[in-house]
Amino acid sequence: MKAAPFEHHEPTTVDEAVSLLASVDEATVLAGGQSQVPLMRFRLSTPETVVDINGIEELNYVREADGHLRIGALTRHADVEESDLVADRYGSFADAAPEIGDPQIRNRGTVAGSIAQADPKGDWGSVVLAHDGELVARGPDGRRTIPADEFFLFPYETDLAGDELLTEVRVPAAREREGSAYRKLKRKVGDYAMAGVATRVILDGDGTIETAGIGLTSVDLTNSRAAEAEAVLEGEAPSADVFREAAEAAREECNPETDEHGDAEYKRRMVGVLTQRALADAVERAGIPVERGRAAQ
Amino acid sequence: MSSDEEFHQAADEGPQPEEHAGHGRGGMGDDVTRKEDKRFITGRGEYVDDVKKPGMLHCELVRSPHAHARIETIRTDPAMEVDGVVAVLTAEDLLAYDLATMPTLMEDTQDVLVNDKVKFQSQAVAAVVAEDRYAATDGADRVQVSYDTLDAVVDAGEAMAEDAPLIRDDVEGQEDNHIFTWETGDENATREAFEDLPVTVEEDMHYKRIHPAPIETCGCVADFDPGKDKLTVHMTSQAPHAHRTLFSMVSGIPEHKIRIVSPDVGGGFGNKVPIYPGYVVAAAASYVLEQPVKWIEERSENLQTTSFARDYEMTGRVAATEDGEIRAVDVDVLANHGAYNAAAQPSKFPAGFFKIFTGSYDIENAYAHMDAVYTNTAPGGIAYRCSFRVTEAIYLIERMVKVLADELDMDPAEVRRRNFIPKEAFPYESTTGWEYDSGDYHKALDLALENVDYEALREEQQRRLENDDDTLLGIGLSTFTEIVGAGPGKQCDIAGVEMFDSCEVRVHPTGKATVRIGVQTQGQGHETTFAQIVAEELGMDVDDITVEHGDTDTEPYGLGTYASRSTPVAGAATAVASRKVRDKARTIAANELEADPDDVEWDRESGAFHVSGAPEQSVTMTEVAAGAYMNSPPGEEPGLEAVNYYDPPNMTFPFGAYVCVVEIDRETGDLDIRKFHAVDDCGKRINPMIVEGQIHGGLAQGLGTALMEEITYDDLGNNTAGDFMNYLLPTAMEIPEFETDYTVTPSPHHPIGAKGVGESPTVGSPPAVVNAVVDAMSHAGVTHLDMPLTSDVVWDALDDAGLARDPADRLSVGGPGEEGTADD
Ligand SMILES: Cc1cc2nc3c(=O)[nH]c(=O)nc-3n(C[C@H](O)[C@H](O)[C@H](O)COP(=O)(O)OP(=O)(O)OC[C@H]3O[C@@H](n4cnc5c(N)ncnc54)[C@H](O)[C@@H]3O)c2cc1C
Repeated sequence: MKAAPFEHHEPTTVDEAVSLLASVDEATVLAGGQSQVPLMRFRLSTPETVVDINGIEELNYVREADGHLRIGALTRHADVEESDLVADRYGSFADAAPEIGDPQIRNRGTVAGSIAQADPKGDWGSVVLAHDGELVARGPDGRRTIPADEFFLFPYETDLAGDELLTEVRVPAAREREGSAYRKLKRKVGDYAMAGVATRVILDGDGTIETAGIGLTSVDLTNSRAAEAEAVLEGEAPSADVFREAAEAAREECNPETDEHGDAEYKRRMVGVLTQRALADAVERAGIPVERGRAAQ
Repeated sequence: MSSDEEFHQAADEGPQPEEHAGHGRGGMGDDVTRKEDKRFITGRGEYVDDVKKPGMLHCELVRSPHAHARIETIRTDPAMEVDGVVAVLTAEDLLAYDLATMPTLMEDTQDVLVNDKVKFQSQAVAAVVAEDRYAATDGADRVQVSYDTLDAVVDAGEAMAEDAPLIRDDVEGQEDNHIFTWETGDENATREAFEDLPVTVEEDMHYKRIHPAPIETCGCVADFDPGKDKLTVHMTSQAPHAHRTLFSMVSGIPEHKIRIVSPDVGGGFGNKVPIYPGYVVAAAASYVLEQPVKWIEERSENLQTTSFARDYEMTGRVAATEDGEIRAVDVDVLANHGAYNAAAQPSKFPAGFFKIFTGSYDIENAYAHMDAVYTNTAPGGIAYRCSFRVTEAIYLIERMVKVLADELDMDPAEVRRRNFIPKEAFPYESTTGWEYDSGDYHKALDLALENVDYEALREEQQRRLENDDDTLLGIGLSTFTEIVGAGPGKQCDIAGVEMFDSCEVRVHPTGKATVRIGVQTQGQGHETTFAQIVAEELGMDVDDITVEHGDTDTEPYGLGTYASRSTPVAGAATAVASRKVRDKARTIAANELEADPDDVEWDRESGAFHVSGAPEQSVTMTEVAAGAYMNSPPGEEPGLEAVNYYDPPNMTFPFGAYVCVVEIDRETGDLDIRKFHAVDDCGKRINPMIVEGQIHGGLAQGLGTALMEEITYDDLGNNTAGDFMNYLLPTAMEIPEFETDYTVTPSPHHPIGAKGVGESPTVGSPPAVVNAVVDAMSHAGVTHLDMPLTSDVVWDALDDAGLARDPADRLSVGGPGEEGTADD
């Protein structure tokens, strides 16, 4: 690695990190470094100061508290992958974690770093969108909570200010009849998504879909939400036909581009296929049996 | 226009194969554990980047962001201001030493540092030499180059257009982007055959541009010693001797004052055959600064600027009888060579060995025509794990056989059987002028089909179609022939040097041996395989033999390792040199046994000499070795060593039969390779374990080619696959567990009956995969798909053929049935 020269700070508390960010110009947070280090190594990013948060132990947690699943900013992809809580109750998180990069990347990269990076091909943003999640940030003026819907602005651009530290990623705690899932298509192991779909459904007492959330990966300028598709689902009993209809809506509302990950039309069609698959998974996890036909997909 | 020489040297001129005992001491046929692995596994390998010398400087190249641009000015002084920067070189500096350009292996001339016009993206325009890599990179960042950008052309077809930008205005008389036209075969006879025959098929296919992408990138440490006036270059070289000669020719330094050392090399695959500007710049800088200079490529530099492979756009046509007998094949090729003609192949073969395109089939009429063009892309066209364009040729014919089978609604295995060169026909003279040494194609195919239970697979495929299954099954075959082991020297040369190879065997007084070979290993296992040849020939234990390679100061001259030529050529040299030692050993044995040399017999089984008719009166090679130095026969030269320079009478023709079974997800186009079965025949197998390892590695690379690898450019000439995020290499996750088997058809002209093997799987596997994918969809009219077979490519074909599906077609929600686990 041949980065340009930079100053390296290692705060051990959030307060310390926040005041460092406030006091130096051109400071960049370093979490797992799985996006930031390659950028520096190619000298596409040349920060003068790096605030390395890997020593802030208080940010390393995955827990349910106060009606939320809370993921601290130092939580690695692998921590989510290995969490029993996540495996039991948050299917979409459990599906997405092992799909990210490869084991080395998952051991270093963080959920919050991934969301702060705001790569439209990142997986976590879609999951958090599908769950109506929030991002918690700390800055010189204190703490604020940003709805995921308002967080992603452009590719690699978020609502976070330069002197703010993202401290927590959180989503509403899973309800009784809730199910969620994530489905991703990639060119090979370790690759970003050609397309990815996160789904979350909450059923009411008679099995009708009360709330639906759908987040999309790699098919727009940012991780995006398939609001039309959600509207198709809400108030309906889950069925193959409803899934098909929702998939059509999701296909319509996404905006993929042709790039090295595949052609736009293909990605659009895959949004449809993955939406159906991920809805089947989510509904099943919410307690309604699903038969999958001849292919075990 | 050029015409290729023909290979008519009689096979019986060379040394003949002998029977092998496999004596249990690590001779022929033993699975000897690789001698080199101890140092690799324990982290003690020494690669170029491990070489550190006192006072060593580091070189970083400044590269052009544009693909086609005239350089207006270069400002180097800002770089000189960076702490630690020692020198900045541009073409102007190199001109003073007559080093501004260098010859390519195909008689073109390439800028070392761009003098006037950049011709492909990332071409080197300046070099910064500094005390460490950071300073060198800081310096490179500060070099200011102003460019006048020009329209770029990256597509071979567009480069042929009349209004295409002229890339090579540096070449006198060059008015377009055309490099050469090449043809082979009989055009008229082929055309007539097409007119006469009832069945003809045609298919366009592009064998995409790919990159060898060795794990270790290219690099060197150049060290000019002003005390000895000697230049030592540790470099990633597959051909150290040839490189020494070229270095001497380019630099004017006398050849005996140059030493090239190729230490451990982390994969070559053809990528380390050419000379790259970095080597020349480092050597020039060391010469001028009188300090060692290290240059190590980054991954992106390797992918973006060093030699690519393939990039042939081909149209194949086959004419046949109604019962599937192929009578004629015709090929049209447009070859993209990049900005320079820098392919690496024997100089008399501008299209490499492409004229092997009749493959394993006995086809009377064949004709190929090729146009090669310059484009604003990195130069190349090297033999990536293959023998000079055989990969493209075999892909073409193996694909066309499947296209024909589908047209005739015949089983592709049957079409193959009907057209194979029969085993009785060997040595077989092909229509395009090769002499195939030996083969038994029916046997290999039958074995492969039996091993996979081909009939059952075809039944399953049928059943699935009838059930309208959600996954499609495809079965692909490839029954390829290879052509490896260049020379003969009169036909094959690199920059004029004939493609022989060499070995020196020295047996020491204590009965141990040092063996030096003219080829060089990049992972193939030479240190083991070549020791086994000597162990076999001299009755020694393989542990008592050390094989050395890669240092031009000590090894005999050789042309290097690529194109599967090590065993066919240097392996033959090793057997012959060993036999020379044995001949001398017989005299010494006779002296020890107090017998007449004519009465002394060599017993391969025991690895000892004995008096005829008296096996109990014997001496081992260890005793003979002692005799050679401590009791040398009167009138005989003391010592026990020999050297052989081997010019092969012909090439060897390994072959194989591969079966690939794929399952295709009709919803996503995702491919699953359910089975890959490879039957290979490389003649006599020296170390079967190493052979298998070579096959596994080559299959992985062949599958990477078929499934995901591709170097791509956008219209501006930007390389859009210049890193491992976008140049996709397969991992264990994408590769199935390979099944392998073999037949043995010895080469009749090779002293131990061996053929090359390292490249068969890279040549043979891509068509097997494509044939399988097409086979899954051929019932719906699909005849061809271009590689790489990414899921979007496959899905598009499914969609066009009406085979694509939606999950909702098969899902049922809330119906009867168990509560799912949703973990599928
Ligand atoms: C080969 C490879 C494959 C990958 N594949 C995938 C994939 O399939 N799916 C996927 O989603 N991702 C993938 N990634 C990206 C990976 O998930 C990264 O971990 C992630 O993008 C960034 O997380 P990080 O902790 O490494 O952050 P860093 O790289 O350290 O930082 C990324 C950015 O976020 C900022 N940042 C980090 N943490 C904070 C914070 N707490 N507050 C404010 N700003 C912060 C940094 O300043 C920087 O700008 C891949 C990466 C690689 C190298």
